Amino acid sequence: MTQKSTRRDVLKLAGAATAATVAPTIATAQSAGGVVVIGAGFGGATAARYLRRAGVSVTLVEQNSSFSTCPFSNTVLGGINNFSSITHGFGGLRREGVNVVRGRVNAVDPDAKSITLDGGDTIAYDRLIMSPGIDFKWDAIEGYDEAAAELMPHAWKAGSQTNILRRQLEAMPDGGVVAIAPPGNPFRCPPGPYERASLIAHYLKTEKPRSKVLILDAKDSFSKQGLFQAGWAELYGDLIEWVPFSEGGNVARVDPATNTIFTDFDEHKVDVANIIPPQRSNRLVDTAGLADGGDWCPINQTTFESTIHANIHVLGDASIAGRMPKSGFSANSQAKVCAAAVAALLAGNDPASPSFINTCYSLVAPDYGISVAAIYRIIEDGTIAPVAGAGGVSPSDAPASTRALEADYARGWYASITADMFG
Amino acid sequence: MAEVRVAVPPTARKGEVIEIKTLVSHPMDNGFLLDYGGRMIPRWIINRFEVEYNGEMVFSADWHVSISTNPYLIFYTVATETGQLDFKWYDDNGEIYTHTAEITVT
Amino acid sequence: MSPIKTMVAGTFGAALLALPVTLPAAADETAPANLANACAGCHGTDGISPGPTPSINEISEEDMIALLTAFKNDEAAVTMMNRIAKGYTDAEIAAIAAYFASMM
Repeated sequence: MTQKSTRRDVLKLAGAATAATVAPTIATAQSAGGVVVIGAGFGGATAARYLRRAGVSVTLVEQNSSFSTCPFSNTVLGGINNFSSITHGFGGLRREGVNVVRGRVNAVDPDAKSITLDGGDTIAYDRLIMSPGIDFKWDAIEGYDEAAAELMPHAWKAGSQTNILRRQLEAMPDGGVVAIAPPGNPFRCPPGPYERASLIAHYLKTEKPRSKVLILDAKDSFSKQGLFQAGWAELYGDLIEWVPFSEGGNVARVDPATNTIFTDFDEHKVDVANIIPPQRSNRLVDTAGLADGGDWCPINQTTFESTIHANIHVLGDASIAGRMPKSGFSANSQAKVCAAAVAALLAGNDPASPSFINTCYSLVAPDYGISVAAIYRIIEDGTIAPVAGAGGVSPSDAPASTRALEADYARGWYASITADMFG
Repeated sequence: MAEVRVAVPPTARKGEVIEIKTLVSHPMDNGFLLDYGGRMIPRWIINRFEVEYNGEMVFSADWHVSISTNPYLIFYTVATETGQLDFKWYDDNGEIYTHTAEITVT
Repeated sequence: MSPIKTMVAGTFGAALLALPVTLPAAADETAPANLANACAGCHGTDGISPGPTPSINEISEEDMIALLTAFKNDEAAVTMMNRIAKGYTDAEIAAIAAYFASMM
């Protein structure tokens, strides 16, 4: 799918970003009620936009000149969309009055209430919202480091990694094996690896029908498993093979030089290796100890304020948000609650009681969509939990027309949520 | 019949500490759960795991009802001499699942 | 990965965690904006959808209450809204409808 004016925004941005990096310590940061947001993804862009709508002055710090979404990057891998269709500029946010600053944050100082950018510039805040996303645990799979990821891409942050994997799929001969190795829980986008397997299978079935997708899983079950497996059987026959943990799917070691994957008990020499390693919160949070020595950041789940440092809010994948999955939709929903809480706190009011939604659409094929949804509230112990009797997955016996409609709504979701993020 | 998987390094130096991985597919029903009809699912677990290295016991464990489905166990031992490792899983129902692995020690 | 995968009473722990929350009877009311803003994830900011998902910004208060109630009671054929609407009390459905109506 295409986003109106995306390319134009990106082009305009090149000039604007240069100007902004010259003097990032400007204006808003010092003014009363100033909020700084780190990261222009599903959490950060949404938080910045909704704070502006509430009349709060906002500086949004982002290291890249545009944002490419992990959601829908599987459609790029499947050859359905091109990369520019999942890339969004910040022109809309600027037009709405968000001060978008291009820079890479290298430290957060909770005592000085400021952040420091590469190059030494600092930006002060009254309240800081961090939505920095994930980093990978490079030590988790033997042999899988940042250099290995150039040969065996994770493609779990959209960008050059997505393009490496797409080029490998295009270059692979018919009859090749594509391995996908999903990590154990928790990780970003629980149904994502399986949608990826689906859309790669869609591409292979069309272009290279003797090929195979081999999922080497660190888990024994996964999101929307019944729906995915029924869809695979119906659309792809035995093109996709899933090896769960209990059948030896866990990847222990890789050799990028020979494209070999070693599970605990077997070895697989493959043509394309998509290794999705275990994850943790972005290491930026460590500069202020916000993960408290763990992988993810503990927060007050009503306001998303860190339990480690006051005036710093953490949301999205990096946070511990009760039972909500780490998804773009979750981050978008959390960001609106967090923005309302921050606006209330700045005005000296009590934050309102939150309500959240998460829905995850997955494409099993371009005209075959499935979904899972849940409504979330705060329960007595202060954590986020799903509402009983609501939510759930698409019906297992739905007709093809329903799958086609859900595929349309998946595209509708993408158009709506990216507009909700970027204006 | 349970399916077993074992990974033993094919070669090792004498005195080297080697890692041995084992995985057995088994429901490990703990006897406390009800089925969809409300009937108690009887206990059915593997209750003991043993490993002998050239006839000498190098690892054993009694398993109880809190061990998960599809038990995955890693242990370490010292490579002493060329020979074989014999693995045994004892099922509540009296069955014994076995596996043998060779190792060459230099 | 620890040598033995699960040493805790995994089955019981998982069962407890899986217990979902029941809606608060008459606890503190959730702010209408917090209820309604979550809809934007699929239906667009302020309910204005730029893609194939239906816009919900020009539905009258009465119609929206009737629609959401029908979804909640499985009285309308939809793909997802039946699952979503069940997560809200009648009072919350009324608050959501009033919120969108107030922006017309």
